[in-house]
Amino acid sequence: MSTASDAGTADAGGSAAGAVIELSHVSKTFASRPASPARALDDVSFRVAAGEVGGISGPAGAGKSTLLAIAAGQLRPSSGSVRIDGIEPRRFVEREGIAYMPQPLALPGGWRVADALTRLAVLSGVRPTYTKHRVEAAMRELGLYDDRRRRVRSLKGDARLRLGLAQAIVADHRVIILDEPLDGMGPESLDRLRELIVRLRAFDRAILIASRDTAELQRLTDRVTLIDRGRTRRPGTPRRATPADAEGVFHITLHHGGEHVLAVFPNAISLGRSTYAVRVAGFGPLNHGLRELLDRGALLAAVTPAHAAVDTNALAVNEVGT
Amino acid sequence: MKGRLTAYAGYQLRDYFVTRALPTLIASGLVAWGLAAARGITLSDLDPAGGIDARDRIQQTFELVLAAFAFVAGAAAAHGVVARHRARGYDRLVFSRPVSPVRYYTQGVVLAGIGAVILGIVGAEVFAVAVHPVSLPGVAGYVALAWLLVGGLAFLLSTVTAFYLPLLVLVLAADLALDHFAGELSAAGVGPVAAILQFALPPAHVLVTLRGEFARGLAIDPRALAWPAGFGLACIVAAMVLLRRRPFRS
Repeated sequence: MSTASDAGTADAGGSAAGAVIELSHVSKTFASRPASPARALDDVSFRVAAGEVGGISGPAGAGKSTLLAIAAGQLRPSSGSVRIDGIEPRRFVEREGIAYMPQPLALPGGWRVADALTRLAVLSGVRPTYTKHRVEAAMRELGLYDDRRRRVRSLKGDARLRLGLAQAIVADHRVIILDEPLDGMGPESLDRLRELIVRLRAFDRAILIASRDTAELQRLTDRVTLIDRGRTRRPGTPRRATPADAEGVFHITLHHGGEHVLAVFPNAISLGRSTYAVRVAGFGPLNHGLRELLDRGALLAAVTPAHAAVDTNALAVNEVGT
Repeated sequence: MKGRLTAYAGYQLRDYFVTRALPTLIASGLVAWGLAAARGITLSDLDPAGGIDARDRIQQTFELVLAAFAFVAGAAAAHGVVARHRARGYDRLVFSRPVSPVRYYTQGVVLAGIGAVILGIVGAEVFAVAVHPVSLPGVAGYVALAWLLVGGLAFLLSTVTAFYLPLLVLVLAADLALDHFAGELSAAGVGPVAAILQFALPPAHVLVTLRGEFARGLAIDPRALAWPAGFGLACIVAAMVLLRRRPFRS
């Protein structure tokens, strides 16, 4: 993980426009059996804004995977509209690509872990000079480095989930869609996932996660939409800062002025793309620090509370790094 | 960010040699052995020192092997490229990347065709050194033509159905059977119907007819190539259009 000292390089890449996933009144009927067509989704709407982590929860068979496949442009809705950054998802994917972890993860079993990630990095458009570095970084971040020569078919359960996450983050995409990343994940991998989500949060990124584990999803995301049997049971409402957040970590995204962050928040960690994680002792110190940042000429783009559990883990790792 | 599909070509070519080259050689060897056995050709007939008759038999056998290899390699070039890729769900990861399914699959089929031609040339060279001289450009041209016709058709069928392989064998066999029994069908008064049917089917019989000219390295009348090459190209274009409209299984 990079630190605030490399803020000058943290702004690299990507359009300034924020990625937004938007599904409006989406229905999906599978007509494989014309006599009894299966309605997988019925008038579902939701939106994941730029800089937001959205969650979809519901029991098995609720339609979560269908919804995510539609958002990823891999299924066409029977009715309704789907847009990513204002355009049809398939067009967006072919133009920019997305980080997509489908469920189940299907990769040729004969490929070795490092080879599989390298191939997918090449297809993602990672430049040749960075490919090896990106693949190694993804493997290390997800604890797969020691498995790099293992064949994909030999990976089971938790390791397979981590490979699914690694292939999703091997390139730097603005839209991230993860289908059931928690299903069967061990505690250590869950910590890795929490850290990963913290790191991936950025003002121009939209992250969508589906899981049956509503409680964990509520910790990982900003809002959780509940669906069941293809229908919205509870639309997601934005999470607001709570007193529990006060003594915790906030993400600050700057339009410019990143060079002042360390002077104001000495414990700041750069999350990339001009976003920083800062730990403060309450809303007072946070506002005081923000005022000082503004006084020094920084231009603020967003401030979001990060969950205490998530960021405690993230900072524990980062403090070792710094 | 744009996917580096050109850079990925090396992986696709490697996949062809790792996963399909050996099965292609084994399957075409078995088919050629069956065809040779049906004509009463045995290994002992293939002694180059056996005079003019032996040389004719060797040439005849080589043509059988070439035809068997070309058909099998043509089908194998498209095998698994679309239908199996989809059935196993590999498309979901690959096409979350910024790559076009049309370009990805077409590139895979073309590279497998190149792999088949390389395999054919190597096999022909081995045959030339060990048994009897053959025309390498002729072999390369014949395998390329078979790839275009059989591979193109397999590519199209695999974009439409998961059962493309039996369907491919069925339509190729139907064309060969119509050609083989043309006289009988004409005598039975259904010649015009058979001719129309044969026109709609892939011209596999033309490919079979041309094997001698290619194997001997003779000049080929371009008009004879037009039908199989045109049919194959039309199949590839149709497959690309279908993939553009329907890049995923459902």
